[in-house]
Amino acid sequence: MLIAAIALGVAGCGGKQSTLDTHSTQSHDIRTLWWWMLVVAGIVFLGAIAMLTIGWIRRSRPGLPFFGQSERVETRLVVLFGMVIPVVVLVALFFVANVYVIGKTEPPKPGSTAMSVEVTGHQWWWEAHYPGTTAVTANEIHIPAATRVEVIGNTDDVIHSFWVPELNRKIDLIPGRNNRLLLDADSPGVYRGQCAEFCGLQHAHMSFEVIAQPPAQFRAWLQNMAADARPPTTPAEQAGQQDFMADQCASCHTIRGTAAQGQIGPDLTHLASRSTIAALTLPNDAEYLPRWIRDPQHFKPGNRMPGLNLSDQDVAALVSYLRSLR
Amino acid sequence: MTDIPRSMEATSGPAAARVDAERRTLPRGVWAIALVIATEFTLFASLIATYFYLRFRTDSWPPDGIPDPSVVMPLVLTGVLIVSTVPMAAAVRAARAARRRAAWWLVALAAAIQGTYLGLQIHLFTDDFHRFSPSDDAYASIYFTLLGVHHAHVAVGLVLDAWLLAVLAFGLTNYRLLALRVASYYWYFVAAIGVAVVFTQIYPSL
Amino acid sequence: MATAAPSLAADRLDRLSRIWRERSGLVGWLTTTDHKRIGILYFFTSLAFFGAGGVEALLIRTQLLGPDQTVLSADAFNKAMTMHGVTMIFLFVIPMSTGAFGNYLLPLMIGARDMAFPRLNALSYWIFLASGIFLYVGLASGDAPSAGWFNYVPLASKTYSPGPGIDFYALGLIFNAISTTAAAINFIVTIFNLRAPGMSLNRMPLFCFAFLAVSFALVFALPPLTCALLLLELQRLLGFHFYDVTAGGDPILWQNLFWIFGHPEVYIIILPAFGIATAIIPTFTRRRMVAFPLVALAELLVAFIGFGVWVHHMFAVGLATATTVYFAAASLIIVIPSGIQLFAWITTIVTGTPRFKTPLLWIVGFIVLFMLGGLSGVAFAAIPFDQQVTDTYFVVAHFHYVIFGAAVFPILGGMFYWFPKVTGRMYYERWGQASFWLTFAGMNLTFFPMHIVGLLGMPRRQYTYPADMGWTGLNLLESIGAYLLAAGLLMVVVNLAVSLFRGERAGNDPFGGDTLEWATTSPPPAYNFPVIPKVSSPYAMWDAEDREEDARNLERGRRVLEQGHETPSSTAVDADWDEVLSMPSNSIWPPVLALAMAGIFAFLLLKLWIVAGIFLLVCLAVLGAWHAREPQEAA
Ligand code: HEA
Ligand code: HEA
Ligand code: HEC
Ligand code: CUA
Ligand SMILES: [Cu+2]
Repeated sequence: MLIAAIALGVAGCGGKQSTLDTHSTQSHDIRTLWWWMLVVAGIVFLGAIAMLTIGWIRRSRPGLPFFGQSERVETRLVVLFGMVIPVVVLVALFFVANVYVIGKTEPPKPGSTAMSVEVTGHQWWWEAHYPGTTAVTANEIHIPAATRVEVIGNTDDVIHSFWVPELNRKIDLIPGRNNRLLLDADSPGVYRGQCAEFCGLQHAHMSFEVIAQPPAQFRAWLQNMAADARPPTTPAEQAGQQDFMADQCASCHTIRGTAAQGQIGPDLTHLASRSTIAALTLPNDAEYLPRWIRDPQHFKPGNRMPGLNLSDQDVAALVSYLRSLR
Repeated sequence: MTDIPRSMEATSGPAAARVDAERRTLPRGVWAIALVIATEFTLFASLIATYFYLRFRTDSWPPDGIPDPSVVMPLVLTGVLIVSTVPMAAAVRAARAARRRAAWWLVALAAAIQGTYLGLQIHLFTDDFHRFSPSDDAYASIYFTLLGVHHAHVAVGLVLDAWLLAVLAFGLTNYRLLALRVASYYWYFVAAIGVAVVFTQIYPSL
Repeated sequence: MATAAPSLAADRLDRLSRIWRERSGLVGWLTTTDHKRIGILYFFTSLAFFGAGGVEALLIRTQLLGPDQTVLSADAFNKAMTMHGVTMIFLFVIPMSTGAFGNYLLPLMIGARDMAFPRLNALSYWIFLASGIFLYVGLASGDAPSAGWFNYVPLASKTYSPGPGIDFYALGLIFNAISTTAAAINFIVTIFNLRAPGMSLNRMPLFCFAFLAVSFALVFALPPLTCALLLLELQRLLGFHFYDVTAGGDPILWQNLFWIFGHPEVYIIILPAFGIATAIIPTFTRRRMVAFPLVALAELLVAFIGFGVWVHHMFAVGLATATTVYFAAASLIIVIPSGIQLFAWITTIVTGTPRFKTPLLWIVGFIVLFMLGGLSGVAFAAIPFDQQVTDTYFVVAHFHYVIFGAAVFPILGGMFYWFPKVTGRMYYERWGQASFWLTFAGMNLTFFPMHIVGLLGMPRRQYTYPADMGWTGLNLLESIGAYLLAAGLLMVVVNLAVSLFRGERAGNDPFGGDTLEWATTSPPPAYNFPVIPKVSSPYAMWDAEDREEDARNLERGRRVLEQGHETPSSTAVDADWDEVLSMPSNSIWPPVLALAMAGIFAFLLLKLWIVAGIFLLVCLAVLGAWHAREPQEAA
């Protein structure tokens, strides 16, 4: 147990998505709750192990040390350890966890925060809208740091679960419901999140990043996000845009400011500003973007984007266009 | 040892009646039917809970385009089902008094009432079916499912009746007497749960 | 009525074995109604499913051994994961503990000659077998369910799971539930009706109390599941709407119905294990259980309170805080009956003079592991913490500690404990202890790191994970642990298999056991006891005068019941002898009926309604044939 606790402490510093590496008061409070529970549980556990050890040492002697063989004492012992002590511990746990910490990590009251983000789960990627602006993005959710942000979550298909362990507890995204959650990052940084509710084939590849930025930087980002896509400039980019409209891309993807208004896949208006593609499955770079477009089923089998048997030329054009969309 | 009754030897009406009168335990069959009723009760409770769960998730119940359930016929029929338990109970009394013939006729009477009940219910069911379909929406789905499950229970009861009539025609034994008692408990349950079902069914019209 | 004539005990035994003789060979196994043989059938069948579930587990662990592995495709992984959960829960633990242990031991412990409904008992087994095959036909045909063992909608709806996999799951589990319900009813009636005259309820062994509690829990827990599955199939096969929001349904309805079943289910899994623990501990500590009435009450309370906590599986759904807090409180309350039992076992061990033989070792292991698993369960009742770790490997760690550690360990201990009784031979003690330590080490190596990896943010049900998450080393450890664990279990199986042929002769009572099964020969005769045993305490075997009286009764021909296929029936509470029941013997109808019922389910799955209807009629015909012969004619 002790070794385990130490191992935990050490391991807690590593990991990109750890509940123990906290960056908000909410997850910090939950972590404190956890360590306290671990300590109390450790005491209970060690106490019981100690009793078993006594049983082993005295295996050839009947009765209890000091008390001898008394049925009354034995029963009282059971009541004390099995009932009285647990009641005390559990009442304390109930109030700390389910009255105090629960309040501090609660979803914000509607309208009580400066801003909110609407997150929609899809099989198997995330879509984020910023109410009050035209900004739409995918798998990368920016928020201002040190600001209370309300997340309003729902889903387009099956149940998903929105979870950024370093910031707060998770919340399921359920058809027909709008669930809310509070994000309040202490400081700027990138916090990894992942879908936690099993949602089918590619549940394992449904991650995202919450990027907390200094408020000014965030505002600039949001302004850029809200803008239409930058028109293609070089011939390669122009060819790429044409391909995009001509091949089936436009039937699934939106690039605001163009004829592409598809609603099935992620909004690509500012694709190049994102650092990953396909819900953190691949880096968004010159190597993987073309490979993704050529054969999306290779990296994420079963995902909803088909391989379209494009020529190398088409792919190259598409890539140069998409990589221009900052 | 010799004063302990052997139910196996009760192969005549009077012997069966005597074993039955002297027995202090609840016989196996009665325990079993009590537990079957407990589990069936829970099934109906789950279905009725589902009904109200779905009901309180929406505003219009039944939704537009689906007629409100009729009240009079279902209530009357439930009354009929309850009435059918009277000859059933009487049949048990008769059998416990070793009056096999009377028991047979009473079961037949009960079965006739129950059969009529089921026939009329199926008529109403198909009638509803022509007006709206269970695949219309959640209301229609749970409406037909709840009624369908109850009707299926009545049908099972009729199979029991038929079997009782078949064996009682050839004599009364301890085994058959117990079977009759068990079937009667089943019917009481079906009638009682029918009340819960019918009030759920007509609830939107109340 | 003819009175008993022969005066020689040997004559009586002879006559009893003639009356209770079963057919031999395959026909014998098909037509058997002997609870012991049915128990053995249950044992081997559920052991085979344990093997299947274990292979699936090892496939899962091999795939997760390192990051970005491709041993299994995403689809294969999801199927393996789902089938692993479904197999272990529905086809292994429940049938193993109730079907095998309960069936074999319960009538022996209460001094009866069979279960209350022997043919129904056989039917339960055959339906269980058929439902297991039904589910595995799905896997073999490539259409296994793949939506997880709790099968949430809408993922499990036609839109997102178009193949027949989910239909195999839903119909298979409805079918399986029929078997389990019938078995549960059979146990309850047996306990209330067939206890040896004199075994009033307060003289009944705690093992039987545990099975009583389990059986009641099953009677009330399965219908919500059946209801949920029925609605799901109506939606999938006929286009009804219950779970889809667009037509007025609600996916959370499924979650409620499933967990109203699902939580009681976990106590159903653990209670037989508690029963086994309370059977083994007194024998090996050579003393009576501490706080007997409290433990009996706690067993019943666990089963009861278990019905009021289901929402703790749904804390992340976004229900009203008041609702979740209420259910969290209930989850805390259920700790208390568990704590009472736990400390009753510990105190019994401390105050007794324990011999740490293989069976007791498994039980001590169980106590340690149950505590760890229970304590992490308590942590989930802290809602904010649960919402952090729910659906991560922390939960997987919790439930393998309580399921593998706390439910399967006693089952393994029980296999060793009752092996001499069932086979008449001893297992190898040293190998038994070695297999315990290997399994214990493997178990902790597999499942302890899952707590950590869960806290480090690894969600469950992922077919793969990236290398840079800090999960790699721990997953490797878990997989190594799983292989160790498998080796330990294999050692158990080999030990018992070899002992079956080579083991020393065990005698009737090798351990100085406390309950009645030790009073009879090993293996017990078909009629269990030559004399219906006299009982004056829950530790009937330790009441030497009673056992001497049994021997005298055999001489005198009292309480022998040698006139037919008979067993006494007694009043529910005080167990006054009230009646002699004639029990039905061999029948071919149970397997035939199970087969016909399988036909119904198979053709429902294929949407051939008319054929399914024909099979329904076949079932009725079989039932008619079954009941054509009344028990007294069969005797
Ligand atoms: C054998 C099965 C078994 C048992 C016995 C338990 C026992 C308990 N379980 Fe567990 N549970 C499962 C099987 C089981 N569970 C399964 C299968 C799941 C996951 C299903 C899935 O999602 O797939 C699950 C999931 C699960 C959850 C949901 C987690 C989630 O998905 O987010 C919760 C939440 O409250 C929970 C709680 C508990 C509690 C409070 C107990 C208590 O009964 C434990 C009581 C025991 C002790 C506490 C230890 C002994 C007592 C003492 C040492 C006394 C002193 C103690 C104190 C002072 C605290 N369990
Ligand atoms: C009784 C219940 C039970 C048991 C015993 C086990 C046993 C094991 N489980 Fe299981 N597990 C579940 C119930 C159980 N599990 C459930 C309900 C889930 C959730 C599924 C879901 O999410 O839907 C789960 C999920 C689950 C996961 C998570 C999957 C995921 O989320 O992606 C993992 C991962 O490691 C795992 C591993 C193991 C391992 C290594 C064992 C090992 O202990 C297995 C060892 C067993 C063997 C190796 C077999 C040995 C048998 C023999 C030797 C007999 C031989 C027989 C003959 C010769 C006839 N399990
Ligand atoms: C049938 C619909 C469909 C078509 C056609 C389609 N896509 Fe996609 N696309 C998707 C979906 C769905 C995703 C999200 C996949 C995932 O992450 O699971 C996606 C993801 C992407 C991404 C990654 C976006 C991100 O931020 O993760 C890029 C880039 C992309 N598609 C480009 C294209 C291009 C270029 C074409 C045409 C050659 C195209 N898509 C055609 C549906 C489609
Ligand atoms: Cu989305 Cu898992
Ligand atoms: Cu639970």
